[in-house]
Amino acid sequence: MNNSTLLDLRGVSKTFGTTTALSPMDLEIERGSFVSIVGPSGCGKSTLFNVLSGLLRPDDGTITLEGNNVIGATGHVGYMLQKDLLVPWRTVLGNITLGARLKGKVTPENRELATGFAEKYGLGEFLNHYPSALSGGMRQRVALMRTLATNHQLLLLDEPFGALDAQTRFEMQQWLLQVWRDTERTVLFITHDVDEAVFLSDRVLVMSPRPGRVVDDLRVDLPRPRTLDTLVSPAFTELKARVLHQLHRERAV
Amino acid sequence: MVLNQYYQTIRGNRMKRNFLSISVAGAVMALSSLTVLSAGSVASASTLTSVKFVYDFPGPDMELIPVVVAAREGFFKKNGLKVSVEFPPSTSSTTQLLTTGSGDIGFITTSDMAVAVEAKAPILSVANYSMTNNWGLFAKPGSMLTLASLKGKKIFSWGDTWTNAMIPFVLKKAHLKASDVTIVTGANDTPLLMNGTIDFTTSTTNYAIPGITEATKSAPVGIVGSAAGVPNVPVWVYAVTHNYANQHGKNVKKFLAAIKAATIWASAHRAKAVADFIAAYPKSGYSKFYSTKGWNLTVPLLTNKAGKYFVQTNAQWTTLATALKGINLIKSVPAPSTYYTNKFIP
Amino acid sequence: MTKKKLLVNIFGPILSVVVLISIWQSIVVWGHIASYIAPKPLDAVRSVTSNWSTLAPLTWWTIKETVYGYLAGALLGAFLGVILSKIPLMQRVLYPLLILTQAIPIIALAPPLVMILGFGVMPKVVIVAWIVFFPVTVSVLDGLNHVDKDLLTLAKVFGANPLRRFVVLEMPAAVTQLFSGLKIGATYAVTGAIIGELAASSGSSLALYQRSASGALDAAGVYGTTLIMTAIGIVWFLLVVGVEFLATPWQRRSTARRWRRGAKPVLPNN
Repeated sequence: MNNSTLLDLRGVSKTFGTTTALSPMDLEIERGSFVSIVGPSGCGKSTLFNVLSGLLRPDDGTITLEGNNVIGATGHVGYMLQKDLLVPWRTVLGNITLGARLKGKVTPENRELATGFAEKYGLGEFLNHYPSALSGGMRQRVALMRTLATNHQLLLLDEPFGALDAQTRFEMQQWLLQVWRDTERTVLFITHDVDEAVFLSDRVLVMSPRPGRVVDDLRVDLPRPRTLDTLVSPAFTELKARVLHQLHRERAV
Repeated sequence: MVLNQYYQTIRGNRMKRNFLSISVAGAVMALSSLTVLSAGSVASASTLTSVKFVYDFPGPDMELIPVVVAAREGFFKKNGLKVSVEFPPSTSSTTQLLTTGSGDIGFITTSDMAVAVEAKAPILSVANYSMTNNWGLFAKPGSMLTLASLKGKKIFSWGDTWTNAMIPFVLKKAHLKASDVTIVTGANDTPLLMNGTIDFTTSTTNYAIPGITEATKSAPVGIVGSAAGVPNVPVWVYAVTHNYANQHGKNVKKFLAAIKAATIWASAHRAKAVADFIAAYPKSGYSKFYSTKGWNLTVPLLTNKAGKYFVQTNAQWTTLATALKGINLIKSVPAPSTYYTNKFIP
Repeated sequence: MTKKKLLVNIFGPILSVVVLISIWQSIVVWGHIASYIAPKPLDAVRSVTSNWSTLAPLTWWTIKETVYGYLAGALLGAFLGVILSKIPLMQRVLYPLLILTQAIPIIALAPPLVMILGFGVMPKVVIVAWIVFFPVTVSVLDGLNHVDKDLLTLAKVFGANPLRRFVVLEMPAAVTQLFSGLKIGATYAVTGAIIGELAASSGSSLALYQRSASGALDAAGVYGTTLIMTAIGIVWFLLVVGVEFLATPWQRRSTARRWRRGAKPVLPNN
């Protein structure tokens, strides 16, 4: 474990009854990196997220975040799902500051931070809107702002763009990369979409089910910023092929 | 429907039953009124004239005994009638049921009669049921109940027209203003009387005495009739619409003939009469004790000093109308003949 | 809301009331219905206005009974809804009991209440509350049981304690449901007050006034008091709808009013 390691898992495992959801896993995540996790349903991706966020206690192993043991604790990561989970009775600003409200009072600083995020990332004129007035893509932006506003270094994004149409999705991916670069956060990103994983990430982890484990760990050294051209470059295609191959091989077994 | 049961204007201790049992009893009654009539009838129905009798109260009690006996002991049939007994949704609606043709002959209080005439409803009283005013105030056995002791007391009222009409006379005689007593209205007086929530109740002797006696095992104290300051007029009458009187006078005559015969029979055979009532309405909610005592107290009320049934007088109607005008319940005192006729009395 | 929709919303109900009254008037007039059976609508209204000095204090009492009972019932109902939703054991123990309370005919409830609470405002308040609390409990329970589980999980990940989760997420999430219960209760409340008044009244009450009018064959008085009772019910219902309107702006607006919490004016871009 070196100085730039943000998150360190050692021998983390979790079983439900006779099912091994997560076989003993070692994983190091570098501060500021963007890491995607791909794999079929039941490969333990969600279990991994639940363990990291503190919703589940692992059977074994250690989890160290910024040097602290975080097993069984909550409130140390930003978390976002495919469902935007915006609350309809709070405005965009109210939703972005929801994390602060859930921990206590929303301070003027919280509001200022939220307003700043919103304005910087294209939500400025919607601060006073209720979520019902927003499109799906906009709602996901608000949800991500809410995740950012919790001020945690590590963000767990569980298929955040899974419900969006292709066009919106690409816009959102680029937008996410911009946000990530500006805010210097560390992202763990679950997706089914191999293109998305390769396009966004510094690293792609391929997981396989029964028992859930990481079967491949790829470095993605494509230059940033990434654009439409990235998607058609030979290097991209090669990486994508490797991930697909891994996924396919695992499934064929 | 539920609310309707509340509109019942109730006299005496009739409401010893709770409301729930009334609705049950009501359903049973609808069935049993058929059995009442079929009991004595052997001749084919087509030879008999149908008459719809409407009682003054939503459920049966012992004052219905003359009608029950007339049906079960064959007096109606002997007079060529087939009488069905209907129960109104509320006491004050009996006159309305007559005017709409839902009933032919009705049983109402004389105060109902007075307000009906005031409202220009074409109703005519054809016979007295009782001859004297046996209404008054009653209290638990051993209570202090005099006109002088009324001030500041809680007096129970059923909220019906008759009670509304009588209370001002009591206050007048006691030299009290309306604000000197608290008139409370409710669904059932006996329990309230028992636990002291009210001081006195208002009722008639034939309902109050059986009810309170049954609850306390001894007779209540009471001030009744002229002692209570109320005009000495009959409480109940049989009534029809002008139309019915004109077109079916024969039926009215036959009806009263049958009722008279049945009343005489029921006065002579009181136990059998009460048994007939219980057989006709086993779910009335009244005990045999209550009905027996009540009927015994009712019988003397049914004849005048000359021993005659039904006979009405100008004086009774003028007295009532004048008294009711005195308390502003009606605006004018019409000629007594506006109220009644004796021409159908057998 | 478009202008056309607004017009329909305002004039629709007025039109239906006008039609109803016209039908009533024509039946009474053309059917030659005697005034002691059913009055003309205008006579019913006149009976109210000409007796208003008598009716006003009675109406005020009925309003008080309705409002006190409603507020007590709504509070109790919401409280029970929360208890039932939060303590599963209570749901098993208390729920059948609550259903039982509604199976008891209200009219059977009145006499014992009078014995205990006397002839004043209290027994009416209890009866109204008795009627009102149940739909509120059911709707709150329903609302709380249907809060998005993922949202609660998210709150947990954010490190919120159960109380904050309840206050910040579950309570507001149940508000829409709560109002459907409150509206049902509002329509029943005045009926409860009238039942209470009939069961027991000291002095006079709207219900007794009506009963006396009925006894005196004063149909205009009977219908007139019915109009008052109905008006109390409708006004109270509309008030609840109004409160809902103000309390749930997100259901009809795309933006919050500026003064709402968390809706600080947007700062100009630098």
